[in-house]
Amino acid sequence: MQPYELSLTAAAQEIRARRMSPVELVDSVLDRIEQTEPHLRAYVTVTAEHARRSARRAERELAAGHAAGPLHGIPMGLKDMIDVAGVATTASSRVRESHRARTDSTVAARLTAAGAALLGKTHTHEFAYGLTTPQTRNAWDPGRVAGGSSGGSAVAVAAGAATFALGTDTGGSIRVPAALNGVVGLKPTYDLVPRHGVTSLSWSLDHVGPLARTVQDIAPVLAVLTGHAAGETGDADLTGLRVGVPANYYFDHVDPDVEAAVRQAIARLEALGAHLVDVEIPMTRYIQAVQWGLMVPEATAYHERTLRSVPERYAADVRILLEAGELLPAGDYLRAQRARTLMRRSWLEMLEQVDVIAAPTVPTTAAQADRPTLSWPDGTVESVSDAYVRLCAPADITGVPALSLPVGHDRAGMPIGMQLMGRPLDEAVLLRAGRALERTQPPRLLAPVPGSADAMISH
Amino acid sequence: MTVAGLTPPEAARWAARTGLPLPADRHAEVAATADHIHSVVSVLRELDFGDTPPAAAYRADDSAGKEAGDAAV
Repeated sequence: MQPYELSLTAAAQEIRARRMSPVELVDSVLDRIEQTEPHLRAYVTVTAEHARRSARRAERELAAGHAAGPLHGIPMGLKDMIDVAGVATTASSRVRESHRARTDSTVAARLTAAGAALLGKTHTHEFAYGLTTPQTRNAWDPGRVAGGSSGGSAVAVAAGAATFALGTDTGGSIRVPAALNGVVGLKPTYDLVPRHGVTSLSWSLDHVGPLARTVQDIAPVLAVLTGHAAGETGDADLTGLRVGVPANYYFDHVDPDVEAAVRQAIARLEALGAHLVDVEIPMTRYIQAVQWGLMVPEATAYHERTLRSVPERYAADVRILLEAGELLPAGDYLRAQRARTLMRRSWLEMLEQVDVIAAPTVPTTAAQADRPTLSWPDGTVESVSDAYVRLCAPADITGVPALSLPVGHDRAGMPIGMQLMGRPLDEAVLLRAGRALERTQPPRLLAPVPGSADAMISH
Repeated sequence: MTVAGLTPPEAARWAARTGLPLPADRHAEVAATADHIHSVVSVLRELDFGDTPPAAAYRADDSAGKEAGDAAV
């Protein structure tokens, strides 16, 4: 096994035991990036020297007898919405061509202080305003979308081109690409992880969180991001855990392969001791309206100056949404905010009956890159973006934590994701349930990146 | 009640009032997109909000309904 193939937890163990040096690990992942980038384009910028410097420093600290934390010498990618001093935060946009961040974002500073090595900045759908990340290719099939907006982060992690990464999630942007590329992504509770120095899409919906190859790998990153230990995730017995299974909404207009894999995973939770409870998801008729009513005017407000000074530098799909957002009355925005109050109350009531809600992350696996819409058996046609946001938006609107993890593949071999949602600040419960489930599955392999040597190995 | 969609000149005028002059070749597309957003968002008019305050932003550990006090200004 090459160092780039190691999970974060395994790599940290190797480093702590002095069986592998941080330099060796970082060099291996940088080599992997060279091999995969021509096929995937997960990165806007690769900061190889930055990463090697951090690795050498980590190595010196180890040699001097410093205790190694779990991220010491671990290579990471940061979504290019997240400021790192001296590096451009392009948001994958021509609008930010001459950008240079003056200071670190809070999350970048905390990760650096914990010894993580920055490999580079990963691609986002422009300014995180979209669900596909068209610059980047899916790690499992280059003809399919990476998902977004944190597409580069998910693809890099899936391909072994980063040991972990950060993304942002406003309508599913961590969980959607995590699900479509077969990795784990956590959208933490609103405001748990600081957003200072992170470019905003929609202030009241934005969340920053980690992507990694295993649930076990998420906990140490979250601990560094928040400054608090995430709690023990090692308990495989879920006796007493009440798992809500949605009777409405989350299994409507869902691909049969996705539904089957998620229901099998829910059955595995039950086999581990969890108690399944049917739950009725409240106010589903208003989810998209609240999401759009909040996000559209907030995004337009953020881009007010540049939409007037350099509108031609935006991609067409983002520009039109920003322009049209100017025409949404304040009354509609306030209605969306008041509906969020109602929705949040009813979700908290629902979460008094259960500890976790288990549901598909997205209704289908990764779509072909040139496919704009999905058709459902009842004749409904839905845009790919609307389909990807549909099941993720409630956790953004209500602010509850949501963890997406892989639970299988469809008949074409594409990864399927399930999300676990819980009460505010109950990340530890999600990680415990996710970890218990993960232990029942065979260890995950890296995505078979097309064109690279490991694609020859059958999966 | 159905209200007719925005015409391209109306979209241009509304945008101009917000301080965003739109080139003529964008009027129709902006009108159509604004209409689509309106059709999605206007479903919220069905709700009777009573005294419900807006949740402009909130802290995760707040109890439900107290979010309004945290509004960022």
